[in-house]
Amino acid sequence: MAAVTEADFLLAQRGTTQELGGWVVAAVFDRTGVLGFALADGTLRIGDITAAAHDGAILSACADGKGGFLTGGDDGRLVHTAPDGTVTEVQKFGSKWVDHVAAHESGIRAASVGKVAHVLDAAGQVLKSLPHPSSVGGLAFDAKGKRLAASHYGGASLWFVAAKEDKPKLLEWKGSHHAIAFSPDGTHVVTAMQETALHGWRLADGQHMRMSGYPGKTHSLAFTSRGRWLATSGAESVVLWPFFGGGPMGKAPTELAGGDEVLCSAVACHPQHEVVAAGFGDGLVLMADVASGKVVPVAPPRGSAITSLAWNANGTRLAFGTEAGLAGFVDLTKR
Amino acid sequence: MADTPVPVTVLTGYLGAGKTTLLNRILSEKHGKKYAVVINEFGELGVDNDLVVDADEEVFEMNNGCICCTVRGDLIRIIGGLMKRKGRFDGIIVETTGLADPAPVAQTFFADEDVKRATRLDAIVTVVDAKHLFARLEDSKEAQEQIAFADIIVLNKIDLVTAEEADAVERRIRGINPYAEIRRATKSDVPIEAVIGRDAFNLERILERDPEFLSGEDDHTHDDAVMSLSFEATRPLDPEKFNAWISDLLQKKGQDLLRTKGVLAYANDDRRFAFQAVHMIADGDYIGNWKEGDPRRSKIVFIGRDLNRPQLRRGFEACQVPA
Repeated sequence: MAAVTEADFLLAQRGTTQELGGWVVAAVFDRTGVLGFALADGTLRIGDITAAAHDGAILSACADGKGGFLTGGDDGRLVHTAPDGTVTEVQKFGSKWVDHVAAHESGIRAASVGKVAHVLDAAGQVLKSLPHPSSVGGLAFDAKGKRLAASHYGGASLWFVAAKEDKPKLLEWKGSHHAIAFSPDGTHVVTAMQETALHGWRLADGQHMRMSGYPGKTHSLAFTSRGRWLATSGAESVVLWPFFGGGPMGKAPTELAGGDEVLCSAVACHPQHEVVAAGFGDGLVLMADVASGKVVPVAPPRGSAITSLAWNANGTRLAFGTEAGLAGFVDLTKR
Repeated sequence: MADTPVPVTVLTGYLGAGKTTLLNRILSEKHGKKYAVVINEFGELGVDNDLVVDADEEVFEMNNGCICCTVRGDLIRIIGGLMKRKGRFDGIIVETTGLADPAPVAQTFFADEDVKRATRLDAIVTVVDAKHLFARLEDSKEAQEQIAFADIIVLNKIDLVTAEEADAVERRIRGINPYAEIRRATKSDVPIEAVIGRDAFNLERILERDPEFLSGEDDHTHDDAVMSLSFEATRPLDPEKFNAWISDLLQKKGQDLLRTKGVLAYANDDRRFAFQAVHMIADGDYIGNWKEGDPRRSKIVFIGRDLNRPQLRRGFEACQVPA
């Protein structure tokens, strides 16, 4: 990116940034398109509004079912914050941290507290509490909100949310598994591991998929909109694994936007097109077109690692946040 | 972010030795510092200002080729969370359960890249009960390992034993680990500076302390499985030979080698090379030049189980350049 000047970055013409003063845990667009930044100081920032969601740090955040934001904190609470900043406690789980949260547009929610993944309804009632052999490393609903996948030591567990009897389908693989993603069509589950590799399972037949070769840990992974590619962080480029034509087994991944010797720290896939937004350890944000490999610079490297990236539902806005607390977004609508 | 890594103190000790009392002392003393404390059970901790994290000791194997490489998965997760709140506390204290093997905790700070980037291991502090230590050493492998791993040992409940008994306990500890600093205490009353901010894993400070043996009596009256050995080489070492030897040794014998530390004089190099390992996980770097006029002697110390003295000596001495 050496030849790019600050003015070439989209942020200069189409962006807005703010210094929020705290580690940005997640940038989230709620289901009505409102942008919120969840910070490690316990607050959720929505435009000029500062909502004191947690007494401590926010550990994870997502768009809640119908609108607003769902956050888990190290105060043991699961909290809903409305777009106007109104904070409502959904549940309090005691002294343990609420590490991971997930929500589906149907209104169903999940929150992991240590080894247990709680499933809650839209009203905040705990419907079931699902135990795992070790602490849950990540949570994901499938696109229909019917199944919940939870990663942990030794693999992942797949639960049917509405099952009368809670018996998980165990996806086993030795090692400690963290970030987890469902393919959009619900046929694959992929986890990022402690051992700087990914592991995937084809659910139909339990086929294992090993994806390795990362110099760093993958913290962020996302499927492109139609599920053809899995974009991942953890390498000095954006690593994309092909989930078509028999892949990713036996196929080499595609690498985009490499060459700066800085690890990619966050990825987010465009909701319609095969375009990936990527953030790097030095603060650089860019967009890359998968087919052509063409790269468009979004935000210049300002030193602090990108922790989170998010697209709004129609793919016209891209938001990012950093460890040092810089947050911003670019507006990509046609002018 | 290029911030200073947050120091982490690991507090081990058998059940009833006085860990919680020590922790309460650290937290209640007026030191103006704020700590995050990772514990396994909320007990009678008097915490106002500090952040207490309730953890489960989850020991994970790492599939990285080290058969004995285990880490604390919960610590990786917790430290990841705490680091986002940087600046809100001055240090982290990790209390282990009484029966815990300290290795997974220590290895976590060398094996995980995120933890390594954000924190540094300050010291392993082991609290032992002067009255019951002998019995513990007989019936528990963990009690020996907790002493073997320690940088600082708080010899607690000293008021409950006679002066002779206290000396005997200290000798027994020295037999296992002559490099740890022993602090005698009653009701865990040691100054906070004695246990916090020791920087014992700093390569620059490795083997800075001379081993302490109490004179007068044989140190090996008891057959503890864990012992320590140290060797010196007077001729400079060939770095390639040393690397080959130590890598092979750690690979084959790493499970029995609890802690290894060395300061090495390489041939044709004015810099001192410091080296340490916890089981198979090793860490090493240059730590500045040898002092003018000081003898350039390489020294290596092993604390572990079933150590073969002649074999280790021969191996180390063979790394020297030819005379």
